[in-house]
Amino acid sequence: MDAEPMGTPQAVIATQGLTKHYGKVEALVDLTLDVQPGEIFGFLGPNGAGKSTLIRTLLGFLHPTRGSATVLGLDIVADSVEIRRRTGYLPGGIALYDSLSGADALEYLADLQDRGSTMRQELCERLQMPASVLRRKVRDYSRGMRQKIGVIQALQHDPELAILDEPTEGLDPLMQHAFYALMDDQRAKGRSTFFSSHVLSEVERICDRVAIIRSGQLMALQNVDDLLARRKKKVELRWRGVAPDLTGIPGLADVEVKGDRMRATLQGDVSGFVRAIASPSLEDLTIEPARLEEAFLEYYAGDEASEEMRG
Amino acid sequence: MNLRLYLQTLRWNRVRLAAIVVASVGWGMLIPVVYVAFADAFKQLANSGAFPKELLNFGSGSLFTLPGALTLGLQHPLAIAFVGIFAVGSTVSAIAGEREGGTLEVLLSRPISRRTVYVTLAAATATLIAIVMLALLGGQLIGVAIQGVGDELDLGLMPLVFLNGLMLWSAFAAFGLAASVSFDRHAPALGLTLAYLLINYFLEILGSLWRDVAWSQEYSLFHHFNPGQILTGDADPVDFVILAVAIIIPVVYALIVFPRRDLSAPS
Repeated sequence: MDAEPMGTPQAVIATQGLTKHYGKVEALVDLTLDVQPGEIFGFLGPNGAGKSTLIRTLLGFLHPTRGSATVLGLDIVADSVEIRRRTGYLPGGIALYDSLSGADALEYLADLQDRGSTMRQELCERLQMPASVLRRKVRDYSRGMRQKIGVIQALQHDPELAILDEPTEGLDPLMQHAFYALMDDQRAKGRSTFFSSHVLSEVERICDRVAIIRSGQLMALQNVDDLLARRKKKVELRWRGVAPDLTGIPGLADVEVKGDRMRATLQGDVSGFVRAIASPSLEDLTIEPARLEEAFLEYYAGDEASEEMRG
Repeated sequence: MNLRLYLQTLRWNRVRLAAIVVASVGWGMLIPVVYVAFADAFKQLANSGAFPKELLNFGSGSLFTLPGALTLGLQHPLAIAFVGIFAVGSTVSAIAGEREGGTLEVLLSRPISRRTVYVTLAAATATLIAIVMLALLGGQLIGVAIQGVGDELDLGLMPLVFLNGLMLWSAFAAFGLAASVSFDRHAPALGLTLAYLLINYFLEILGSLWRDVAWSQEYSLFHHFNPGQILTGDADPVDFVILAVAIIIPVVYALIVFPRRDLSAPS
């Protein structure tokens, strides 16, 4: 497992050997990780891997079997109420009060949060929830609208830490991008986000670090950039006339030449490769960046779950 | 207690409450009318020996006296349905229903402890029950005034009748809430609470109609709700103690169990 130093004192989330059993089922096993202030932390795993169990344990819905954890420096068992005051939570597949209008639901939840709703207006504008829509009953909302209300209720009180479980589920591509921009702004403001997802492209797009969990166990905890830097990129060349000399290029492997085309994988520094192939005969060059999906699938090699994530 | 949750819970019940209050006042008003119209006929029937006197009783109520008639009105299945909508229906939905629907998760992600949620919902339920009890008793008093039989009643004892009724239904509500915190689904909580209510009712009615098993009434909470006895100045403090115990046990259970339960993701 690739792990980084953990449990720094200022971590907004720090778990130490956190374990949760349901009877004989081990939902979380000895989980140790940390989330730093101002960070967007991606928590990856297929359904049933333990993502929601960790979130629910951090928020006091579940009681840990062993181990400990703090959120914003507060103990998850002793200080659960204070933790919930200072965090925002979007449950996966959020259910709302159908008999209330969107505006009333947000007002009610803000009142219960007891921290005001300083960001509501901005969030409603950015997620395109105008007053005319907010006046309608939640029961009349589409899935995407409910999800937007879910995101707004989680962030409207400007929490120090947002815990978001599958936040873009049901959002159209336009709203997904509005959400990503929102996350970027949260990071810029120094707010932290714990982000659970199985949409790998969005985790890659917005997260600073990522943890990969499998059967309740931490498989990897790394910077997204580092994780991708160590992955192999796909390269493709096309030339006219004499083929470039590809021997001895560091990191180049799986070379496959067909006529005037060459496909290969490249690990490590790109600049050495570009220098080596530079030639007037070069007609086209494509370097496909490494994807988080490949890194993820490696941890799930041979696992049915990888099929689920791929889908 | 959380005031916002308390007020919102009442607000969610306002339409249902308004309908039940109207129905309860109407039902309450009808009882003195029935008493005035049929009391003498029932007395003659009982004295004729054509019917065993027990069969002319219903629970602790009867139509022989005004206090007995008021008791009958408060123990009638219709009155039980009115109060039961809140004491049973609302309580089992309060936690298990919200959990099944997924909204409990949104509620509990706010800075409110589970004990506070429980106490707030219990207070809201007690308020709803109190309002329906007041409507039933208010309706009866209006009916008594209209029929001009107020001199058969010691009005000063009515608050004690209210307290007795509130305690009876609070005991069922406490049981309903205890069931509600124990299950992830609405149906088992409702089944258990309804069974508890019906068994209590059955024991009371069975004992009142069949004197050989009159002992069964002692095991029914309904037997300890006796406005007739209170209104004749014979209130038994033991009834209040028993009802208090029937409230306290499920409340303590819920306050212990609910905060300790694992609430896994709704399926």
